[in-house]
Amino acid sequence: MAARNTMTTLPDKIRLRAYQVGFGDCFLLSFHYSQQIDGRDERHVLIDFGSVSHPSYAPNDLLTQIAEDIKSETHGKLDAVVATHRHRDHIDGFTTNESKTASGDIIRSLKPNLVIQPWTEDPKAKTTATGPTQNLPSKQAFIAALDGMHAVAAQAIILGAELARAAKRRGAAGNGTGLHQDQADSATQLSFLGQNNLANRSAVDNLMTMAPNRYVYFGVDSGLEKLLPGVDVQVLGPPTLDQADQGTQSNIRKQRSRDANEFWQFQADAAPRAVSEKRLLFPRAKTLARVPLSAAWLLRRLRQLSQDQFLSLVRSLDHQMNNTSVILLFTIGKKKLLFPGDAQIENWSYALFDAPAKLRKQIAEDLADVELYKVGHHGSMNATPKTLWNLFKHKGASGEDRLKTVMSTMHGTFGSDDAGTEVPRAKLVKELEAKSNLFTTEQIKAPKLWDDIDL
Amino acid sequence: MAKSKQSDSTKAKAALSPTTALAQSQKLTILAQDPTVRVAGKPLTAKIALPAERIEPGPRGYRVSVVDYDTHGGVFYKPRNYEYHEHARQVIDPYEKVSSMRLLNDPAFHAQNVYAIVMSILARFETALGRRVNWGFDGHQLKVVPHAFCDANAFYSREHEALLFGYFPSQQGSGNVFACLSHDVVAHETTHALVDGLRRRYLDPSSPDQAAFHEGFADIVALLSVFSLPETVRQVLPGKKLNGRGRHVLTKAEVSPESFRESVLFGLAKQIGGELSGIRGRPLRRSAELAPSPKYLQELDYEEPHLRGEVFVAAIMNAFLEVWIRRLGAMDAAESGYFDRDRVAEEGSNAAEHLLEIIIRSLDYAPPVHLEFSDFVSAMLTADRELHADDTKYHFRDELRDSFLKYGIPPSSTTNPLEKGIWEPPAPNISDERVHLASLRHDPDEMFRFVWENREALRLHDQAYTRILSVRPCLRIGPAGFTVHETIAEFYQVLQLEARDLLALGIRTPDDMPPGFPIWLRGGGTLVFDERGQLKFSILNRVDHPKRQTDQLKYLWENGYMQQGRDRKSLDLAQLHRARTLGRVHFSPERW
Repeated sequence: MAARNTMTTLPDKIRLRAYQVGFGDCFLLSFHYSQQIDGRDERHVLIDFGSVSHPSYAPNDLLTQIAEDIKSETHGKLDAVVATHRHRDHIDGFTTNESKTASGDIIRSLKPNLVIQPWTEDPKAKTTATGPTQNLPSKQAFIAALDGMHAVAAQAIILGAELARAAKRRGAAGNGTGLHQDQADSATQLSFLGQNNLANRSAVDNLMTMAPNRYVYFGVDSGLEKLLPGVDVQVLGPPTLDQADQGTQSNIRKQRSRDANEFWQFQADAAPRAVSEKRLLFPRAKTLARVPLSAAWLLRRLRQLSQDQFLSLVRSLDHQMNNTSVILLFTIGKKKLLFPGDAQIENWSYALFDAPAKLRKQIAEDLADVELYKVGHHGSMNATPKTLWNLFKHKGASGEDRLKTVMSTMHGTFGSDDAGTEVPRAKLVKELEAKSNLFTTEQIKAPKLWDDIDL
Repeated sequence: MAKSKQSDSTKAKAALSPTTALAQSQKLTILAQDPTVRVAGKPLTAKIALPAERIEPGPRGYRVSVVDYDTHGGVFYKPRNYEYHEHARQVIDPYEKVSSMRLLNDPAFHAQNVYAIVMSILARFETALGRRVNWGFDGHQLKVVPHAFCDANAFYSREHEALLFGYFPSQQGSGNVFACLSHDVVAHETTHALVDGLRRRYLDPSSPDQAAFHEGFADIVALLSVFSLPETVRQVLPGKKLNGRGRHVLTKAEVSPESFRESVLFGLAKQIGGELSGIRGRPLRRSAELAPSPKYLQELDYEEPHLRGEVFVAAIMNAFLEVWIRRLGAMDAAESGYFDRDRVAEEGSNAAEHLLEIIIRSLDYAPPVHLEFSDFVSAMLTADRELHADDTKYHFRDELRDSFLKYGIPPSSTTNPLEKGIWEPPAPNISDERVHLASLRHDPDEMFRFVWENREALRLHDQAYTRILSVRPCLRIGPAGFTVHETIAEFYQVLQLEARDLLALGIRTPDDMPPGFPIWLRGGGTLVFDERGQLKFSILNRVDHPKRQTDQLKYLWENGYMQQGRDRKSLDLAQLHRARTLGRVHFSPERW
């Protein structure tokens, strides 16, 4: 799998600084050595830096303050940045401004030696082709489909704002029918998902240019070994399309990928139209000024249904993007630390189910030894696969041997209790609390912006 | 020829004569295939027969009401008025002589297309079942919205009492792709609405099979409806004109299951897939690709409803191909060595019609809850045998039995000595002593009395809440015109208990289910009575069946359908179709 680190000096102290970014991720993983290596006795990796919803007490310049703390903590030198995927709650902190004072400018000034991103961000794999995705090589088609999702996200924000205004009007007028509350809920969720999936050009450009980039996928060298003495890093995800297509039903999966790519392509085409113009399907056809009474009952529900459909579409989009997350497994001596970004089960599936048997067995053994697990996707229902969780042999242990779990999350931001989709998922949190030492960023109280976990 | 506007009721009444029989059907133009399929450069149209009625603008009729509102554009397209032929008592098809290219840009034709296809599928169900068929909601008119939203989706919604069709920009040219213009998409969604009317509990989460059945059944009805149009089959058959003249013919080598799989299934799949594959998946293509194997249903991937449904479709389409080829073998091609293509197409269409009727009628012989594919195999075999005891013309029962077995799906019934796989007769100690036969044919209370008084003979749990879901008299028309009167009743049972109580029933609970977890066990049965009120079949899924309930609990628990304090939600067909589009894989047991 990954190249073994030939530098034998192990760090004598490892510390994870978890920042309180609200709904997002920002972790500084620091390695301290008992002796100087190449003039320094520490190494630092920043894993994600983003937020879509700040905690209520947070200062206006939260991300800048965090960036300043990172600068201070690293003594002005970052070794590597990992941007697990392009969601804003993972990369917004990399945004720059013209006066070069934004959080992204500060991180850039720390001159990282390497930026790690998923293979789907590789600019060489992108296409400017406007033709149908089925005519593109599958890799480009997939990336084009991901790009197309931003257009849908933009549409979601506009629709979310429209819905919020409409719900407010109806609520204020007291003529709501019960539907206006649904509308308000839809508005909130659409706005959130739209914002999170909207392209952040500034952050993306910054990540692309602040240091040499490595676009990784399952099994490839991360490039971190050369930067982190005594640390091995395995890349367990995301799989490439070829890898994802493997497994018991490769033809089915290939077809699925093609179908999904086509789908996102035409959704992307439809989105700008939906936002910018209410174009009639049949401009020459006559329309009715008044809706027939026989249709009134349905029409009122139809509008809500249409919004719900769009919301489900945007959720799918969010899901798809999460599954491009980089999954990294750090090994330091016998310690293993797992950082899966927002990877969900589809991303994990290659490492857990579809990789060649011998390799899979080795991965399972490695994962069994994990001592620190960064809980996937802020504790959502499908980002800590039960198969993965069941592998961890330190869970349920006591004392020093007990599994440590770290979760960056914010209740009430995403999902719904009624639908059983709340983030963090109550059932998962209960399990994490019962079988591990769980640290969540919600434990960080004002005015602190971070807390440390020594490993 | 006397014509008048339908609103002119005076003229209409004057034209009626008490001695004149009303026309039972009328014909309207539809698109026979997706608009991208062109014959001589034009979309393929057909005129199909529908139950005759006066059509209000919409079109709105006694069972279907088209509402042409586009939520995206926020407009209601003006519906067309239909003229009524007073003498023939039929509406006049306004699109009979309209260029097929113009049809595509006329929203009123789109509305007619959905109205006509929905009505034709409804009529097929009513003919096959020999009675009226209700929709799955409290109402008589299904609402159909041909341009509901800008989205690659189409679905039936019980809550909205409606079929909703989306549209989206074409990837292969300018303009839009309309789901409402695809014959098989419309037929597919209509079938969901009809199955929901016939078996309301099939949208309940229960087992991988039941979740897959709605989708697979809708696929198969849609596909066989397409196959039953000879003009559609003809244009994908191979063949050529002999010496460049005369009729098209096929060689013997071209008439084989393998050859037809390649030419007909793949050929048609390519056409009806087209740009709408995002909505409807590729069931026909998949049925041709899924070589028979008993392994599919054991694989985790195939717990995903749409994939599992494709196995069901493949088993039926393979049986259909075998029957079709067998029928062609009966044609005398020995002399010329060739098969006439029109006759080949006609045989295919006839076989498709026949199979479609069997499949629809099978719903009456299927249990009302917790359906598994094996149950449906027994239902099909029984449904056909009851009407066509002699199967020597088509041999459908042999082919269906064999084909399903090859996909690892044996019939549920194994002990009927009369014929393999058909449901067993009821216990001999069934009593109808105090039952009033006339009431038994329509009255749920009378039927409940029958069930109650026979609860032991039917092996029902006498502590369970029991309710009659439906009592439906029907009249089936068999070969040579003889009739079969039957009464079909469904009942439903519920036991409410806690997880700890299940062991006493021999039902195992999932390991991590708390002992005090509230459980609703559901079961039920279908009773089939003959014209004398004698019970012919009692098709049960018992509320306390140890193995089935153990399996169902495991599935529901692992897939997140059971949550404290909440009842199970019905399957959401919109989400199911979206998952199909996006090729989502089945990882539910991995979730929290």
